[in-house]
Amino acid sequence: MPKSMSYAILEAIQGEMRRDKLLTLFYEYQRPTARWGDRSINLESEFGRLRARFCAIDEQWIVGGVLGMAMIGVPAIAHIPSMTTFIPYELMFNHAGKLRHMTGGQAAFPMVLWADMAGRQAFQAGQHADAGLESAYARLAGLKVVVPSNPYDAKGLMISAIRDVDPVVFCHYSMPATGPEVPDEPYTVPIGEAIVRTEGNDLTIVGYAPQTTEIAKAVVELKKDGISAEFIDPRTLAPLEGVMEPILKSVRKTGRLLTSDDGSYSFCNCAEIIARVAEAVPGVKVKRLAFPDAPPPGAPEMLQHMRVDAAKIVAAAKKLVRG
Amino acid sequence: MNEQPSKRESEPLIAALQDNDSRVSRRAFVRRLGAMGAGTIFFSASAPKLAQGQYGVSDADGLSAQQLTAMYRDMLKIRLWETKVKDLLLAGGFRGVAHLYVGQEAIAVGVCSALRKDDYIASNHRGHGHLIAKGGDLKLMLAEITHKATGYCKGYGGSLHITDIGLGILGMNGIVGASHLFAAGAAYGVKVKGADQVAVSFGGDGSIQGNFFSSAANAAATWKLPWIGVIENNGFQIWVRASDVYGITDLAQRAAGYGIEGRVVDGNDVLAVHGVAKYAVEKARAGGGPTLIECKTYRWYDHYGAGGAKAGVDGAFGLGYRSDRELRDWMAKDPIPRFRKFLVSEKVLTDQQADDIVVEVRQAVEEAAKFAHEQPAPKPEDGLLNVFAKGAVPLHTS
Repeated sequence: MPKSMSYAILEAIQGEMRRDKLLTLFYEYQRPTARWGDRSINLESEFGRLRARFCAIDEQWIVGGVLGMAMIGVPAIAHIPSMTTFIPYELMFNHAGKLRHMTGGQAAFPMVLWADMAGRQAFQAGQHADAGLESAYARLAGLKVVVPSNPYDAKGLMISAIRDVDPVVFCHYSMPATGPEVPDEPYTVPIGEAIVRTEGNDLTIVGYAPQTTEIAKAVVELKKDGISAEFIDPRTLAPLEGVMEPILKSVRKTGRLLTSDDGSYSFCNCAEIIARVAEAVPGVKVKRLAFPDAPPPGAPEMLQHMRVDAAKIVAAAKKLVRG
Repeated sequence: MNEQPSKRESEPLIAALQDNDSRVSRRAFVRRLGAMGAGTIFFSASAPKLAQGQYGVSDADGLSAQQLTAMYRDMLKIRLWETKVKDLLLAGGFRGVAHLYVGQEAIAVGVCSALRKDDYIASNHRGHGHLIAKGGDLKLMLAEITHKATGYCKGYGGSLHITDIGLGILGMNGIVGASHLFAAGAAYGVKVKGADQVAVSFGGDGSIQGNFFSSAANAAATWKLPWIGVIENNGFQIWVRASDVYGITDLAQRAAGYGIEGRVVDGNDVLAVHGVAKYAVEKARAGGGPTLIECKTYRWYDHYGAGGAKAGVDGAFGLGYRSDRELRDWMAKDPIPRFRKFLVSEKVLTDQQADDIVVEVRQAVEEAAKFAHEQPAPKPEDGLLNVFAKGAVPLHTS
């Protein structure tokens, strides 16, 4: 069994903090510790409190302080909890994303906003179960946004994010320990590259993070029904140019695009992918699955009714292929 | 104290300096000094108690003649460069906007003269003065605020956003309060580096109510960061009186709630500002943590632009949200003649030398204006660059 998502991410940061003696982590209550088998990581005890800094419940400081540090060449990571996704939004929007441009290339923010994302969990109504907010960051100029779907990509994308001289929003959805084994040594997964998870010919399905679990189940079901789906995980949501290449190639082959998103229907990130496909591939048939434009209810019955799952993906795919 | 200047005495300093007849100009200047120059304390007697400290003390003895002269020159650079910008705004066709700093020169110069070259400052929308005081180039600044390709930010930024990162300036910043947060973050970064620099943020009276300031102050106090918050209290938040939106008079009082030492200082007295800044810088460098310095001052012009201003006349009158008499009261406390009078009385400069500096600075400003005017506009397609470190973003038209 691969390392857990949390262990893989901390292992990435640990390696980079050993490599770069200035790299600093600000966090709130999520202590930078993890266990995997008989191995454990504790960034605070290894690097000291100055570089692994427990902060007040103050995401403005966690992110703003990191931006100030980054401006003087101290690379840093700001780890914020899932229900606070938008508290530092202004800082990322008006400062991290714009100051390089506004200063004619003088300012740089070698920083990572490590944002815990909630996913659509039952018994966590509204504020603690929202999802899809990465699309709000992905629409901001000057930011890179990554959203890994398994521990292998999480470690590789975190290392890429740390080494990137531009600000990166690392959206951390809790995902099961599936996929490739996570090597102990550092490696990178390039920002801006999608991955084809399953090859197929009849339709293209695009989705990321928690939806990848549902899509993977749906692909198996569709195959039983004689439908060959090509499943692509974008992994990066901004910039999207490189990500679109395999998606466009796939849709030119299949002629059909189904997207599946945990975010709310309007302005979900897959809507942007659909728009780009529609511009580039004449006659393509498209369908967008997403959470309704409503807050997530706490009761599991309501939540399940609203969330996209494998059954809904299978039904939409069949309709798209067979009309 | 606070007496109204006579009609003659309220003639604009700059108009007199721009007189082609230099002998008349000098005489007018000297007359004016006699009326305005005295260093006066003009707060109510109860104010400093609330600020848990004392006014900044003059540190004149600690400054060499060379340093004092440099401070005088920098104040004049700010005054004359900005007055040139005002004239360009009034002339029409100006390729940009400007939030003028005139009247507040003693703060930028008093603080930056206490800093090392490698110390950091984070500035705000009214930041031309900070940039000049930290060593900014007048030509590149004027080219930038007119959005020319060769300006400090290649024309991308303009007035609110000029910066020279190489001078330790973490940007002017058009979002109120952000300067405090970035400077505090930089101060944390200094500790990570194990260096002994300090980071100063400049913000107006409006910069301390939003939560950026609170986050900065709490972090700086908690971890004794080498952060110095400078509040330039010019009495107005855009067009709203600070006294209409704050329940306290001395904003440095806020410092106590965070566990920071707060000081109130006469922001029109460059030596007093320098004194308290030097104290704060030395304390921060020695690991003693942050200081909050409130400088009482006044903005001679409107929040932005040249509304109410006239060519050849200092100050913006008839603005509606303040009285002309109030402005004249503050213009009588002009920090520049006041400092000049001190320099002459201390024989740091003769009147002739002080005048020569005015002429020299005015010439540099005219050269900057000529330089900026001659500079090329940016290439349109360059707007797609500098979004990220590498490459251009697509235009998406094909």
